[in-house]
Amino acid sequence: MGDIFVLAEHRRGELREVSLEMLAAASSVASELGGKVLAVLLGSGVDSFAEKLAGYSDSVLYVDDPLFADYNSEKYQRVMSALISQYNPELVMIAHTTQGVDMAPALAVELKTPYVPDVTGLRFEGGRLQPVKLYYQGKVNADFAFKGKPPYLLTVRESSFLAGEPSKQGTVEKIDSPLKEDIQYRKFVEYIEAAVGDVDISQAEILVAIGRGLKEEKNLPMIEDLAAAINGVIAGSRAATDAGWLTHDRQVGTSGKNVKPKVYIAIGISGAFQHLAGMKAAKTIIAINKDPNAPIFSVADYAIVDDLFKVVPKLTEKLKELRG
Amino acid sequence: MNAEIQSFMEKHDLLGCIQCGRCTGGCPVTVRTNLNVRRFVYDSIDESMLDELAKLSDIWDCTTCNTCAVRCPKGLKPLEVLIGLRGLLVESGIIQPTVRDALESVFQEGNPWKKPRATRLDWAAELEAKIAEPGEKVENLLFVCCTIAYDPKLQGIAQNLVKILHKADVDYGLIGEAETCCSSEVYNLGEAGLFEMMVEDNTELLNSFEAKRIVTISPHCYTTFKSQYPLVKAEIIHYTQLLAELLENNRLELTNELKSKIVFHDPCYLGKKNNIFAEPRYILNQIPGVEVLEFERKKERSLCCEGGGGKMWVETESRKERLAETRVRDARAIGADVLAVACPFCVLTMDDALKAKGLEEEMKVADITEILAKVAV
Amino acid sequence: MKMFVCIKRVPDTSEADVKIDQTAKNVDSSRFSFGINDADNYAVEEAVLIKEAKGGEITYLCLGPKDADIVIRMALAKGGERAARVEDPRINYRDPLQVAKVLAALIKKEKFDLVMTGCMSSDDSNMSVGVALAEELGVPHAAMVKKVEILDGALKVQRELEGGLSEVVEISLPAVLTIQTGINVPRYAPIRGIREAQKKELKVLKLEDLELSENEVNEAGSQVELLKFYIPEVVSNAEIIEGAPEEKAEVMALKLVKGGLL
Repeated sequence: MGDIFVLAEHRRGELREVSLEMLAAASSVASELGGKVLAVLLGSGVDSFAEKLAGYSDSVLYVDDPLFADYNSEKYQRVMSALISQYNPELVMIAHTTQGVDMAPALAVELKTPYVPDVTGLRFEGGRLQPVKLYYQGKVNADFAFKGKPPYLLTVRESSFLAGEPSKQGTVEKIDSPLKEDIQYRKFVEYIEAAVGDVDISQAEILVAIGRGLKEEKNLPMIEDLAAAINGVIAGSRAATDAGWLTHDRQVGTSGKNVKPKVYIAIGISGAFQHLAGMKAAKTIIAINKDPNAPIFSVADYAIVDDLFKVVPKLTEKLKELRG
Repeated sequence: MNAEIQSFMEKHDLLGCIQCGRCTGGCPVTVRTNLNVRRFVYDSIDESMLDELAKLSDIWDCTTCNTCAVRCPKGLKPLEVLIGLRGLLVESGIIQPTVRDALESVFQEGNPWKKPRATRLDWAAELEAKIAEPGEKVENLLFVCCTIAYDPKLQGIAQNLVKILHKADVDYGLIGEAETCCSSEVYNLGEAGLFEMMVEDNTELLNSFEAKRIVTISPHCYTTFKSQYPLVKAEIIHYTQLLAELLENNRLELTNELKSKIVFHDPCYLGKKNNIFAEPRYILNQIPGVEVLEFERKKERSLCCEGGGGKMWVETESRKERLAETRVRDARAIGADVLAVACPFCVLTMDDALKAKGLEEEMKVADITEILAKVAV
Repeated sequence: MKMFVCIKRVPDTSEADVKIDQTAKNVDSSRFSFGINDADNYAVEEAVLIKEAKGGEITYLCLGPKDADIVIRMALAKGGERAARVEDPRINYRDPLQVAKVLAALIKKEKFDLVMTGCMSSDDSNMSVGVALAEELGVPHAAMVKKVEILDGALKVQRELEGGLSEVVEISLPAVLTIQTGINVPRYAPIRGIREAQKKELKVLKLEDLELSENEVNEAGSQVELLKFYIPEVVSNAEIIEGAPEEKAEVMALKLVKGGLL
């Protein structure tokens, strides 16, 4: 009792950062729960991941089997179900990612566990675990508590916790796969990369948008550098497309496209109503404009009231530095 | 896609067209797009072509400015053919997401801007504006307009007007949250069914007030109520007519001077559609210090700003200079400090054009309410 | 293809000033605009496209108040045969597992090929009902689907992963899919169509009609408890980044990379 399972997520030879973030979150409440943090890893040829996870957990349990060469929610569910029965953790954490949400709710129904998805915070208060999640497009926080019996199941939103540096020396235990045969009714077929050169700004995760403040087309390379530094796609307000700096398919607004990216950096955009209508639902909005009264700031999460020509090049430089 | 074959040709009297070309010849957007409305009138006679024609992007270049109808020697309305083709597309359901969103928003929230109905009166929060009560007599029922009510850039127009009305002690009342889109643009976007529904509901709403007159701020609301709402009891006027009346009857004191060279841009929906040219000029001429300039293309020949006819939701493909940009350049060329307008769409397009041309330091775009409020309030 | 599509009426809070009410477990929704949940709209369109291509029928399911009827009619207008709406004050709408139970009760007595939901609702962002529903129904599923191809007795679907990557999986029918936005371009339902849709069947049901006991789906029977809503600290207003331009750039870069915004 009191142990915490953290299901590691990996893909195409990379252990995903959210795995370490969850382990850090688990560690923060482990002492109150009075148990250990166990990283659970399923894969094929994942010894190195197990070692890396050991730096963040008390124990790593991993299955290394060709059955798990590719992610399959059905297989993962079977294994998790078996391991949970066997090890009886109090808390189970799964990433709130495409792969995580493909499995966690089904697991919760199967095991009839208390379940809170998309957790952005975790507290221990009044003797019990209180997960926190956001509602209404991030405008409201909600504290939850578990009523039923453990295991408690959470899915954890990416970038809600900081992974930090490895500080533990967990034991690593390779175990046999509880699942012995392949699953027929769900099969992984292949991966498909995003097509290069296609621009559908409404599907981009990161948008770098420009407005009239850019002044001239010859200032575009500065924006291209910034976009490249964060894998962003360039978009613009009507002013930018009107001026011919960008093609119309990159226009954001009521007569252009509606976008809902993870990050929207609005550079030199005043924020006309028709523009805001097209991007206000972006998850994080960063606005750079020298006019403190620019309406864009009414929807921004981060306000940089300054000369974009001074800020943008530095921002690009720093981003390149941090991302290596 | 089902095209109502027989009735399209009959409905638009396509056979009455003599293909003289005066329509296309006067169409303002032809300088920057390929729109050839004469061609559409001709091609639409062939019923089998309708579905294909309806899918062409050209039909969305039309701003419904009415120039073609004004010029047609046979009294036809070529723009209605384009609207009819838009209607075929709308009925198929396969339309641009921006148009879809605007229409769904009118249906669900009473405005095309995806704003909640409940915040429609927020612009008036600080004003102590009078709200009309259904059943109670009111001389001037003020119809604000969705775009003015919700767009922070335009809310000042309504605020200024209310301040002027307070100053002149005018008997007026706002409709409040129940105010719903006149649906002029719904009609222009081709959603005849939704338009009919809005006319029915709005007529009932407007008639529920014991109003002598309905005063619209937008010429689009004005035109639609006047010409497409046959059962509305009250007289429909545009706010420039009300303000001109107040000035004529000395109910407004213009004490301050405004030294300014102002050129008035005739909005298509005030001028071309309704021949209202005098009142806005009268108002400007009453202001001490103002020198009223005129465009060469004035009155019926005014250059459309490309705001109406659904253009708030559908862009042209053309990269050529927008008509509004041409207009602000012309305004500057004749030496104007202020480009005066009397339509919310003109304010938006002209203001954008001003910035696109980098002329904000030299000239301002202002609605007549803003100009008048400076000297009257 | 006999299809069920689960739709939800949600508020649009992207621009709204969200205020928490006195119970601290609800928000004041009097100034919100409402409409169909965005992802559900894509699911509706996908079902209609499948029906147009392969034939079949669509039943829309909704948990909600009478105000949701307009959302249901708009979906029916696009292409659906009938709908059922469950309205019962006893149901706890906040617990996705309980919502899934209600939906399952509606579906499991019927024969079906495909059930679709939006992958996420914009008010709760739980991303859980669809997959939980699949488990309740005992059928395969795939979440966050961007493309659907119908095979013989199976589906080949493309799932959207992070970073622009997609994954193709094949699952056997019958199945549940949760649909990601952008999979198609939702059509417009003209008023004429909505008027005709008024004639289609829209059953309004209570718990008793579903053979579910109160405790399975009410707040008391939920295994999690909502303690309270509160406004997060730095959300409603922009966080102003201070300092010289270079400093601002540095702070923002750090937030982007280390603060996990990217």
